Amino acid sequence: MGISSGPKPFLTVGVLFILLSPATGFSAPGRPRVISCRSPEKETFTCWWEPGDDGGVIAFIFFLFFSSETIYECPDYKTAGENSCFFSKNDTSLWVNYNISVVASNDMGKSVSEPVEVDVVYIVQPNTPESVMVSVLEDNHGPYLRVDWEKPQSADTRSGWITLVYQLRVKQAKDETWEEYDAGMQKYYKVFSLHSGKEYMVQVRCKPDHGFWSEWTTPVYIQISEVLTNNCSRWAIIMYYKSIQTSRFFWQHFLGYLLLILVSYPQNGKSEEMFNALVIPGFPPTSTYEDLLVEYLEVYDDEKRELVLNEKNLIEGSMKSKSTSSDNDSGRGSCDSRTLLMEKCVDESGTEQELSQYGEASWASSDSEGRDNPASPGLEDGKVQMWPSVFSSPQSHNFQQQHPGGLRASHHSVPEISCVSPHVQTCCGQQDQLEGFQFSKPGLYRYAQMYSMDTIECKHVAQEPQSQSQSQSQSAEYVEVQTVNQENVLLVTPLSNPEGPNPELSDFSGEDYSKVRDVTSDNVLLLQRDLSVSQFVGDYCQDQIGQVDPCFLQQQQQEQTCKLNAHLHHPASTLQEDMRLAENGYVDTTMMMS
Amino acid sequence: MSRNRTQAMLFVALLCLDLHARVGSAPICPHGHTGCHILSLADLFDRVIQHSARMHGLSSDLHSEFEQYFLPSKNHISRVYRKCHTSNILTPNGKENAQKLAREELTEVIMKLLMAWRDPLSQLHQSMAHQQDFNSFSSNKALEMSDMVHELRKGVEKVTEKMQLLGMISNSVSGLSSPEALLPASESGEALSDYELLYCFRRDSDKVQNYLKILKCRIVPEHGC
Repeated sequence: MGISSGPKPFLTVGVLFILLSPATGFSAPGRPRVISCRSPEKETFTCWWEPGDDGGVIAFIFFLFFSSETIYECPDYKTAGENSCFFSKNDTSLWVNYNISVVASNDMGKSVSEPVEVDVVYIVQPNTPESVMVSVLEDNHGPYLRVDWEKPQSADTRSGWITLVYQLRVKQAKDETWEEYDAGMQKYYKVFSLHSGKEYMVQVRCKPDHGFWSEWTTPVYIQISEVLTNNCSRWAIIMYYKSIQTSRFFWQHFLGYLLLILVSYPQNGKSEEMFNALVIPGFPPTSTYEDLLVEYLEVYDDEKRELVLNEKNLIEGSMKSKSTSSDNDSGRGSCDSRTLLMEKCVDESGTEQELSQYGEASWASSDSEGRDNPASPGLEDGKVQMWPSVFSSPQSHNFQQQHPGGLRASHHSVPEISCVSPHVQTCCGQQDQLEGFQFSKPGLYRYAQMYSMDTIECKHVAQEPQSQSQSQSQSAEYVEVQTVNQENVLLVTPLSNPEGPNPELSDFSGEDYSKVRDVTSDNVLLLQRDLSVSQFVGDYCQDQIGQVDPCFLQQQQQEQTCKLNAHLHHPASTLQEDMRLAENGYVDTTMMMS
Repeated sequence: MSRNRTQAMLFVALLCLDLHARVGSAPICPHGHTGCHILSLADLFDRVIQHSARMHGLSSDLHSEFEQYFLPSKNHISRVYRKCHTSNILTPNGKENAQKLAREELTEVIMKLLMAWRDPLSQLHQSMAHQQDFNSFSSNKALEMSDMVHELRKGVEKVTEKMQLLGMISNSVSGLSSPEALLPASESGEALSDYELLYCFRRDSDKVQNYLKILKCRIVPEHGC
């Protein structure tokens, strides 16, 4: 059915044209082009085109791939504005390929655009998040921002139809580079390590599980008030307390309070901070925890240290993690020093920078302590060994919110400590979106995954940052357990297991053990891969692929990196020369990696 | 005095921590014995949803690898689309349609889809493993995908049983035990190519994930919906 006006009627079977007043051009119109199609909520979608030269009357046609005989015309040219076609809920079907073309026609002929195929599920770009609110809060470490937002109204997350993940970015108003943070599915985020007296900009955006990132929200500007450094005021308060205790003059006490109020007044009335400082009698708490550590370390027997360390680590870890929430600079330094391992796994560039600074500083400090103070090697060991305990102790999860972002990354980088090529580590950061590790199948798919990430997916991320990269976050580290302890799930993996989907491998999933092959002269432990595993893996490689070489090559690479990692992460000071292996020749690698 | 207190504190801490210290986990009790950790329905749902997300991720990866390395032109029209072998399964193609389905029907659709892919995926893996063009990673992914659809089906069965146990759905969910051995053949009878299989599976795995999410938010809406 077509209406023709002009000497040449259009007779295309099944095509509907709308001809209003044909332009009298001298030639066929230029080829139009479909620019893009987007769906904001996976229920409707819109396509935009641009006309070619010479305009012409445009008809937007499409057909559904399974019935290419029937061609449909755009149901709604108006709603989405000019040069657009809007598909309402009734017109939108998911998981169906729309084959879309734009036809420009005039008296002299017509030209058809390049056809575009669209499956609505893969073109979802949500609207921006809404109601972004930023507030400045204080804790022991200084000011931090709390950002809250709402999901875009159009996205229906309540019914589970669409799942959104959020990202925010922060920068100082005068800076050029943003720091991005992934907030997962939560609708709030705390940003630490801010400078007083600066103005910050905050923006938020969201993305469906596979789809495109929305636009950034309009930036919210927030000013962190200029505060006389907290330390200064705190020390002033301590001095006052001490002077009050010694002098015991009641009126002086009174005067002290008055003076304090006067001193704190220019701090924009942060009276609650002042009162908090006043009511800390035991400030600073450093001594208490160090006493605990020292006392504790004197208890155990040096010779059997490595055997009992696994358990003790956890206690220390919990003690240490508690101490990090207080103002304990030395403790916090060593706590963060594990970022030497974590650096590559941390997605958030902001926290990464902050933590790596701590890391390097504390490495230096712990090294020197070990050498200068042989009388208490345990103390330094205790600090360094705190790493695996923080990793393995699920208590750390509870402290994530308080500690500036660091512990959060540690929660999911546990398996990466083992002998893994650093290349893989860089890609594993996507994992942080999976909050609950309720799956972990011993090693099987994870290592297959790691290999693929090593070569293929990393390249993917580089080449196609927009549309395909969302699949990376899905396929990041994902392991499956047969049994699950809901709160305290850890990724259980054998040391390194490139291939092998065989249940036998589940034997190695329990603990991270490896046999020590040798101790080199500079106190480096060389770990040996379990022979039986590698043989099995080799057989499997041969079986399935028909080529032996690539597998073994990779294995050899793994072994070399094993050595390398062992050396990198074990500076000589942490391994005592007289360190003895446990009876069965096995060393707990979680301890090793400290 | 303070040392005794310290040691007592440490002992208490050790007791608390020891439960969480080991990497091993508490047993899941099939029959609800006391003392072991029972997974709630919400947990089960979360598991299968994560599992399906992973499965879909793999299928997306494989599909785009195929497109990149094996299809010379980006011209989509040149590809001949034949119907997927699962086209016979009626699936809701929009939010309203999916929400109109009863819980039992939605569960059945999910199960049918998963069962329909069991054999084709293992065939796909075989075919990929024997071809020289594929590197070992793709072949592994295909194998992983094949195992995963198997696991996911078992997971969904568990979820279904639990729902039936809790009286949330009726016991009329059929089609679980009768495997419809649909071979991936198009209408013309020819077997679908690897690429077509991947294309179809990417779509179907996305359907499964979506339907599971809808089901979850309908049945246990208080957990992250």
